[in-house]
Amino acid sequence: MAAVGTASTEQYNYDIVRKFSIMALFWAVIGMLMGVLIASQLAWPILNLDPWFTFGRLRPIHTGGVIFGFGGCALFATSYYIVQRTCQARLFGSGLASYTFWAWQLIIVLAASSYVLGYSQGKEYAEMEWPIDLLIDVTWVAYIVVFVGTVMKRKQPHIYVANWFYIVFLLAVALLHIGNSLAIPVGLTTMKSYPLFAGTQDAMLQWWYGHNAVGFFLTAAFLGMMYYFVPKQAGRPIYSYRLSIVHFWALSFMYMWAGPHHLHWTALPDWVSSMGATFSIMLLLPSWGGMINGIMTLSGAWDKLRSDPIMRFMIVALSFYGMSTFEGPMMSLKDVNALSHYTDWTVGHVHSGALGWVAMISFGALYHMIPRLWDTKLYSTKLVTVHFWLATIGILLYITAMWISGIMQGLMWRAFDDFGNLQYSFAETVAAMHPFYAMRALGGLVFLGGMLVMVYNCWKTIAQGKAAEAAVAPAAA
Amino acid sequence: MEWLNWFKSFENTKPVALVIFFTCFCLVLFYLYGSKKRGERLESYRDIPLMDDNQDVKGAKQ
Amino acid sequence: MKHDSIERNVGLMIVMMMLAISIGGLVEIIPLFFINETVEKVDGVRPYTPLELRGRDIYVREGCFLCHSQMIRPFRDEQLRYGHYSLAAESQYDHPFQWGSKRTGPDLARVGKKYSNEWQVAHLMDPQAMVPESVMPKYPFLQQTKLDYSDVADRMAALRLTGVPYSANQAELDKNIKQFGADTAKMLHMPDASKNLVDQAQNGFGGIAGNYDGDAANVTEMDALVAYLQVLGTMVDFKKYDNDQFVKYR
Repeated sequence: MAAVGTASTEQYNYDIVRKFSIMALFWAVIGMLMGVLIASQLAWPILNLDPWFTFGRLRPIHTGGVIFGFGGCALFATSYYIVQRTCQARLFGSGLASYTFWAWQLIIVLAASSYVLGYSQGKEYAEMEWPIDLLIDVTWVAYIVVFVGTVMKRKQPHIYVANWFYIVFLLAVALLHIGNSLAIPVGLTTMKSYPLFAGTQDAMLQWWYGHNAVGFFLTAAFLGMMYYFVPKQAGRPIYSYRLSIVHFWALSFMYMWAGPHHLHWTALPDWVSSMGATFSIMLLLPSWGGMINGIMTLSGAWDKLRSDPIMRFMIVALSFYGMSTFEGPMMSLKDVNALSHYTDWTVGHVHSGALGWVAMISFGALYHMIPRLWDTKLYSTKLVTVHFWLATIGILLYITAMWISGIMQGLMWRAFDDFGNLQYSFAETVAAMHPFYAMRALGGLVFLGGMLVMVYNCWKTIAQGKAAEAAVAPAAA
Repeated sequence: MEWLNWFKSFENTKPVALVIFFTCFCLVLFYLYGSKKRGERLESYRDIPLMDDNQDVKGAKQ
Repeated sequence: MKHDSIERNVGLMIVMMMLAISIGGLVEIIPLFFINETVEKVDGVRPYTPLELRGRDIYVREGCFLCHSQMIRPFRDEQLRYGHYSLAAESQYDHPFQWGSKRTGPDLARVGKKYSNEWQVAHLMDPQAMVPESVMPKYPFLQQTKLDYSDVADRMAALRLTGVPYSANQAELDKNIKQFGADTAKMLHMPDASKNLVDQAQNGFGGIAGNYDGDAANVTEMDALVAYLQVLGTMVDFKKYDNDQFVKYR
């Protein structure tokens, strides 16, 4: 067993995949812990400890921690794993790949520390100040070189569709990050900078970035993950390869237009926001193309849903993907948006995508990958089932709370009394949110609990793999 | 830059965009589903992820 | 071109992908810089004074925009609650924009001059003391932290590079006097930035009394933040315009 494992380690660079997998778990715990903390701060403001640990400074640590820490490391790990296995080639540039690992961890640590200390660019999901942005750019180029370099030395003539999704993600994120981070530093020795553009143009640029960070970082790349791990776990090929090609090009093309739906009814010119809404609605089709393709892969083998909790993670992830890509276009309609914008409904929508789709498909992928990386069996399938239920219950609590509070908030803001005056003061609407903020924090806590179960399970799995390797090693020598 | 104003009016841009995008879409569809042989070739790529098992972890399969 | 070659040639694939992902952004972003109506012409909108600018930096630093929007939408309830809907011109000097995406707290686009300096300070020190239902963090350290304004001129210089009309020389100052009036133009003159900042902290500016935080001896971060809050949404005098004046820009 170990001998075969060694051979496969020689064939593929698994070391880098292992490192990124472990850090994905680590940042997931940190990022979700931050999420539970800031959710609790909104329910119980006494938890804000000024000056460093207030909601305003911790929130980017939560978003950055889960998106770039957890999501980013999961993407690095799976992309390096998938590209090697579907191209049947060892990873290009092992030193460079190693650099991407250390640099990426440094970036997350620097970003988080800078937020606590009060350095922020003031743009959501792009709060990193310019020195960190530059480090990200260099690292991203290295990532592209490693990935595309591996694709170029492939033994398989066809480039498998999962890699397309990863390539478009690499390109789009480079484009978006550079575009949205253009800034003039106050001085070369200070962290502070001012974005190059102002007002309306800056807003458009920000949400072109913000929406496509969702579109390419949290959707396209995770679809790449899905296109490899769902067929692998199911042991059957993807439902339709041609469907994957259609929805790949449609998704890549249309996502970039959808940003302005974050700016409905603002000072952004109406023609732009109408355009954003139109493309957002059309996006439903390619999104559901991906969902159908993934779920139908299981057609004829539905019993796996009952017997295999890892498969269940993946299929439920796809269901949440389908649900939030239906909810999204609906919220991009101007009339719905008039109610939902600025409320918790948006927060709930993001989390049904982030927890339901992104996190769950990553859990499935990591559960599939980790035993193979350490050449062993998963420590406990039962604990995967426990994790699955904790995660599902956590998400349901979270998004139900946000739906209720969001819609209630929107309705209370626009309620008039019989005399045509506003019925509620703003403070009354804040007070009405309290039970739902508590419920949301609880949902987050349950989800985090499931995450800890996963960490324990993976830790035991890895220890088991290492023990087996150590037992065989002397014999082999 | 006056000519850009032409694009501001949806009466102008909607049909133009529709024609361009729909044509592209149809071309992609025709490429994918137009020829049976090509379709079969494309669908054969479905198996790529499953092929990698042949050459590694023979023993450690779960 | 055959799709087959795209599938096999990663270089060609990258080119096609760049094409697919560039069009949307180009069509929606580039015109905003060239179509004049994107930002309407309105009297009164001016760059921030040095003290307001430092206050705005603190607003950004503390992540206020994560809970407070600065963008009033054209709805009746928002008109009643917050005031006239926001214009693009009102954030034309905002690097970065702070329109926000969430109202955990109320919109602040027109909070300027709605409350006294004393109220703002008391509220920042302990929000729950002023509004019991509030979930806002307390910010007493702003009152205890002396404002660092050593690099305020550098900050203005950086903004000037992005196109904000802070004046560096006499010619630019004269131009600003024409556009914004002598009192304001004086505040936007970079060589006097520190002097102007201290002057505003002590004596106020634009109809708002100075000594914002009640601590006359020090220029604190509280002074700066309150000075910024008090100017929000007050630059345009909407009495001068018809109700329908701005509709055509939306």
